[in-house]
Amino acid sequence: MRKKKFLPGLLAVITAGVFLTSCQGVGKEERKSSLRIGISLYRADDTFINNIRGIIEEKAKEYERESGIKVTLDIQDAKGSQNTQNSQVERFIALECDVLCINPVDRMDASGIIDGAMTAGVPVVFFNRQPVEEDMNRWDQLYYVGVDARETAILQGQMVVDLYQEQPETVDLNGDGVVSYVMLEGETSHQDSLIRTEWSIQTLKDGGVPIEKITGGIANWERSQASALMEQWLSEYPDKIELVVSNNDDMALGAIDALERAQITEVNVIGIDGTTPGLEALENGSLLGTVSANKELYASAIVELAAGCALGEAPPEEYPLTDGKYYWTPQEILINKIKENP
Amino acid sequence: MVSKSGKWLIFLYVAFLVLLFLMCSTDLIIREPEREIYQIAVIIEDARSDNYANFRKGMDQAAMEFNVDAHFITLYEKSDEEQQMELMDREQQDGADALIVVPAEQEQMAGKRMNVPVILLSPGPAEGAASGSIVIDYEKMGEQLAREMLARISPDCSLMILTDPEKQNAMDRLFLQGAQRVFDSEGRKTEVMTRDEKEGFRAALEMQDLQEKAVLLAENPEILTEAAGILGDSQTAAERVCGLYGRGNTVPILNDLDRGRISGVCVTDDYSIGYLSVRAAVQVLEGADSVPIAAETYYIEKEDLREPLFEKLLFPIE
Repeated sequence: MRKKKFLPGLLAVITAGVFLTSCQGVGKEERKSSLRIGISLYRADDTFINNIRGIIEEKAKEYERESGIKVTLDIQDAKGSQNTQNSQVERFIALECDVLCINPVDRMDASGIIDGAMTAGVPVVFFNRQPVEEDMNRWDQLYYVGVDARETAILQGQMVVDLYQEQPETVDLNGDGVVSYVMLEGETSHQDSLIRTEWSIQTLKDGGVPIEKITGGIANWERSQASALMEQWLSEYPDKIELVVSNNDDMALGAIDALERAQITEVNVIGIDGTTPGLEALENGSLLGTVSANKELYASAIVELAAGCALGEAPPEEYPLTDGKYYWTPQEILINKIKENP
Repeated sequence: MVSKSGKWLIFLYVAFLVLLFLMCSTDLIIREPEREIYQIAVIIEDARSDNYANFRKGMDQAAMEFNVDAHFITLYEKSDEEQQMELMDREQQDGADALIVVPAEQEQMAGKRMNVPVILLSPGPAEGAASGSIVIDYEKMGEQLAREMLARISPDCSLMILTDPEKQNAMDRLFLQGAQRVFDSEGRKTEVMTRDEKEGFRAALEMQDLQEKAVLLAENPEILTEAAGILGDSQTAAERVCGLYGRGNTVPILNDLDRGRISGVCVTDDYSIGYLSVRAAVQVLEGADSVPIAAETYYIEKEDLREPLFEKLLFPIE
């Protein structure tokens, strides 16, 4: 009889003990003293991405100094392969990264990354290439940092509109009342490429610049491809091109390379991104203008959001999120002062 | 009705399947050797990692092959030896199995004692804390470059050394020492141009009142890149210079070499250095002795960029 009463009593004591211990654990959860961030870049040799990567490293060090939390960055180059990137994400998760910052190779194929991250409970901050909305809505621990492609394109078009209104002769070089342009486009699979192409031209039209498209081509964001295309166009349409509209600075620089080889200096070239070589070209007068995201803010947002997620904190207020997920980095027009005030 | 022998056959078949399952999916019978992942921290002397791009590729390759979790750490300020010491202690406390260090100051490093193996990428044989070393002889590199310069430049050109004493580290000093020794032995006079904090070298290069054209020798990759940039966009400066030499193999340096703004550079095989440093750390962790390895240095000019040997060395494919 005694034994029968003792057993349930013992079980009750053990259960209560386990319950109380677990409650104590919840209350005393300690703040992490170190963070490990896994970063995968779609291609490390992309000038813009390489710029951002450098600033991310600086911002991570700043964060470490200010917060006293050690930050370890694992930066990998996916070399343009989604499979490679998926493997890198698996490795990051196996190495127990606290958060992932991913610059997707294929924005339509981010589901594999999201699946892995969700299973492991590791938040993800995507940047530069925006995954499709259905993917982004699958989990509340997915964020995106980038620029509003439409705003970028409008600013790019606006810089030519402003210049045309002030000094039409600097844009309409042959004075025939029509600005003949060629268009250099980025990858077809990148959402920014399509939006930048459409809205920059729409802004030119809306701003009253009489334009005529001579031709256009896809140079996949690359300087060498753009240079080859431009060289071909210069021989096909001699003395006709007055403006080169490029989806990014690297391709604009490729067009400038071809123009320099052909010893043509008067054609206006406009880009986007404000990369370091782009800004150099702007300074020496070969690039008319570019649209630059505030790269310091861009990189800070990535680091701060990632650190916040990893520590289980609410997203920092300095980076207001649209729909609780998207941070749009502010942008500005940078124009060559020599051409603006000849 | 299944016969008795039939029942035995079924039983043996099922037992065999169970055995196979146990062999394949559990450690009960065949125990797979557990592979240890080594945590290795790589601490360089620079605040930016740009100069270490090929080194990182080699390091990552070795990390994959030798089961290493390697992470790369830069300093808050370039050549801050005290911070480097603190980071070494921090990484040791945080559980790093080994450290690979490019010392900001080798003399201080000699007095440092660590409880984990340290592989030094040093400009001379390692002492003190080091368990192994990859020696990059910057003094010899300076000598090699100076000899190549003297063989190419006209005796009419004066020699100008571009330096930044504020940010000069041991590597820069040794490199210049080596070059200076050769210039002195050949009786060539040198002048020193010091970097201005605000204007860099631009004003000095554009404003200098030279009787004759000058050949420039940059003490490190940053100064070489800056000088090449100035020569590229300043006609005045370019007219006063008849050659620019230095060390380093970053992408901007190689581009400027290709464009003809830089006349010649000394380079090392950074990919192999990165790979060998991780391998040396693993060897020490596994109880083997690490023999100091001397890294080769090469002098290259524009024409050499397309040579298969240098193409492989300067643009390694992972």
